[in-house]
Amino acid sequence: MTNDSAMDRLSSMSGRLFIAAAAVLSLAVLAGFGLLAPASTPGQIFWVLASKSTLSSTLRLSVPIVLAALGGIFAEKSGIINIGLEGLLIISAFAAIFGADATGSLWLGFLIGIVASTLLAAVFAVVCIEFRADQIIAGLAVWLIALGLAPFASQVFYGGPNTSNVGTFDTITVPALADIPFFGALFDASPAVYIMFLAVAASWYVLNRTTFGRWVRAAGENPKALDTAGVDVSRVRYAAVLLSGVLSGMGGAALAINIGQFTGNGPTMVNGKGFIAIVAYLFGNYNPVGALLSTTLFAGLDAVQLRLQTADVIAVPDSLVQAIPFVAVIVVLALVGKTRLPEAAGEHYESGEE
Amino acid sequence: MEQAVHLDGITKRFPGVVANDDVDLAVEKGTVHALLGENGAGKTTLMNVLYGLYQPTEGTVNVHGETQQFDSPRDAIDEGVGMIHQHFMLVDPMTVTENITLGNEPRKWLGLTVDSEQSREQVRELSERYGFDVDPDARIEDVGVGVQQRVEILKALYRGADVLILDEPTAVLTPQEVEDLFRVLEELTDQGKTIIFITHKLGEAMEAADEITVLREGKNVGTVPADDITREELAEMMVGREVLLDLDREPAEPGRSILDVDDLVVEDDRGVRAVDGISLEVRAGEVLGIAGVDGNGQSELVEAITGLQMPDEGTITYDDVDRTTDSRRERIEAGLAYIPEDRQERGLVMDFDLVENGLLGSQHAADYTSKGRIDWNHTRDHAEEIIEEYDVRPPDANAHAKSLSGGNQQKFVVGREFARDPRLVVASHPTRGVDVGSMEFIHDQINALREAGRAVLLISSNLDEVQSLSDRLAVVYEGEIVDIVDPERVTEEQLGLLMAGQQPDAVPTIAANGEGHQ
Repeated sequence: MTNDSAMDRLSSMSGRLFIAAAAVLSLAVLAGFGLLAPASTPGQIFWVLASKSTLSSTLRLSVPIVLAALGGIFAEKSGIINIGLEGLLIISAFAAIFGADATGSLWLGFLIGIVASTLLAAVFAVVCIEFRADQIIAGLAVWLIALGLAPFASQVFYGGPNTSNVGTFDTITVPALADIPFFGALFDASPAVYIMFLAVAASWYVLNRTTFGRWVRAAGENPKALDTAGVDVSRVRYAAVLLSGVLSGMGGAALAINIGQFTGNGPTMVNGKGFIAIVAYLFGNYNPVGALLSTTLFAGLDAVQLRLQTADVIAVPDSLVQAIPFVAVIVVLALVGKTRLPEAAGEHYESGEE
Repeated sequence: MEQAVHLDGITKRFPGVVANDDVDLAVEKGTVHALLGENGAGKTTLMNVLYGLYQPTEGTVNVHGETQQFDSPRDAIDEGVGMIHQHFMLVDPMTVTENITLGNEPRKWLGLTVDSEQSREQVRELSERYGFDVDPDARIEDVGVGVQQRVEILKALYRGADVLILDEPTAVLTPQEVEDLFRVLEELTDQGKTIIFITHKLGEAMEAADEITVLREGKNVGTVPADDITREELAEMMVGREVLLDLDREPAEPGRSILDVDDLVVEDDRGVRAVDGISLEVRAGEVLGIAGVDGNGQSELVEAITGLQMPDEGTITYDDVDRTTDSRRERIEAGLAYIPEDRQERGLVMDFDLVENGLLGSQHAADYTSKGRIDWNHTRDHAEEIIEEYDVRPPDANAHAKSLSGGNQQKFVVGREFARDPRLVVASHPTRGVDVGSMEFIHDQINALREAGRAVLLISSNLDEVQSLSDRLAVVYEGEIVDIVDPERVTEEQLGLLMAGQQPDAVPTIAANGEGHQ
């Protein structure tokens, strides 16, 4: 038993190491070309990669994914698999724009987005915890409800799937530091980017250093142990799921306010970011920092493909270039293989059952 | 002497069942008290009343001389009563310290953060005070069952328990770990703690306890000092009639060879040769016993013979037909019955009822299915026959397997397997975790098979069991057979040496073909 679990950890570790090593190696190769032969195709790709605007758009693209992933970590660590992150992002994206439009304040809109997402998460929590619904089905329901509700509301209030434009947050620029090449993007960003970094640090701290975090982990691994220790498992799980609503709400609101409007065509502007968030936290092994790093990998590739489409350095159809991030997700999933789910994830727990 | 616990006239009724019937129990402070009885005698129910999980229908609970009303385990813990359940309540990926302090973490920084330094220090102090050898930083998933149990005990002590209730604490332990546990219990009582432990094993009650209270069918049959009572007397108190602890039987008259294993090699998951060149033969009308410390290749040997794992080298022959690479189904159809060592994992589907469980292994047989449809009437009759014949309780074919006690689950598995009318039976630890009454019954059934001319391969770490049931006894060590001996003439010391891989002098050896016995 102990050997097996040690082996599991080792093999999943080696998958992660392999991906990290492959990423570093290909970067190094590209850097070599960039320095030695800047005019060659790989050289040009390197300079696209190394530009400040690539990092800047990577961070911007990361915000909703990372925040939703943090929410997913709390919920799943507590034993509730929240597959409805996508829905929480959609509902908060619309609510934020609607709120900002109604109140005239972007920050109030941001807050209203969080409230909407938290309310939807609360419904999900009640259905899963109180009424013992299957978590996967309830999560899909959350997604489908939001997917229908947000464009419908937009239709009612704005006469079309897209809302009107409410403007965006001003960027916060740190003088001098913002001028550093490449990394300067870290100091010349939307407030949402700073909120994301703060949320990652805070989530790590709460999970690993506080009693609440410990109870969340115990609720997901062995709820009975927590129960016999005198802690109410349902309350811990409610708190964790509501927290996933708050965090995803920040993500969805930030996504919409970053553009200034909500667009509700097809899969809406969220377009699968909630599902990529699930991949990101699994790849990050439920570690908030890991989720941040894996998201930057996906978002970075997304940013690069956007740039490559416009930079016109390689003669490849755009649709192939657009596929890069999704191919990366599949490769990463295949290589990581075994992420260890919390033991009791997905299982209902009723106190006092023998 | 001061009484730590006094239960007065406890009656606990469940719908349709009286689990405890007017039970008195007095436990003196600083002693080990064993609560002995067969499965279903009401031991655990009584202790759940003391621990506040159940409220008694009648009677009172007194702890340290005061009458208590426990509405939940919280109340019991507050009065210094702790319980260590049979299934540990630990969080595997967390450390020992995190588990012990869970729910009562010392905090710092306005209560925002766990004070892990202080937690670790508290755990280390506690562990040292009682002479526990526990690393506060080890992860639960990396330590053995014995250590996990000590962590459970520490958890109760950390919450201030004076009275510790242990539910079947030895069920999951190796003999060595049992010794360690008994030492720990002694240390605890020396320091004034009171221990109540629930068991169905006579020997353990006599060895570890100061006093023994026997429960039978929910009633207190009597409390006796452990020093002046014999095994036979205790067994009679438990079962309510005289019990034959030793079997009397005719010498074997083995017929032709049923199972032939030749030069078998099985590698485990890590590529280690768990079975390293074992050859053996089991003949009609005999029981071949396999003795050895657990983990010396017994599981892999059984899995290869029963078709759960393919051997890497060697051959397995049933009835002169090579079946080395046959599937489970082919082997069952060839007349193999298998009693697995882990009945909850491999013997039964816990969420199925007994009708469905009774079908397992026979789902291809023409008696039960035709054209892919199951004949449920016949299947139900079959399950009811097993229940009747093997005295499975409760006698309800609709009961889910998980609602049965361990002994009754095992009786059902044994009944199902023997009902196939097998030619070859592989029984792996058939009485592990089973009460005395059921054990006697299962032993009788194994003997009956032998009388009927079937071949039985019996694997058990219980030496009394393999010695009394086997006609020949093979001792395994590190995947090899050290020797095959005559179980009636070999001494326990000689067996101990063989099990450690050494060859003592003058062992009553039997050649592999059994000639030495005739």
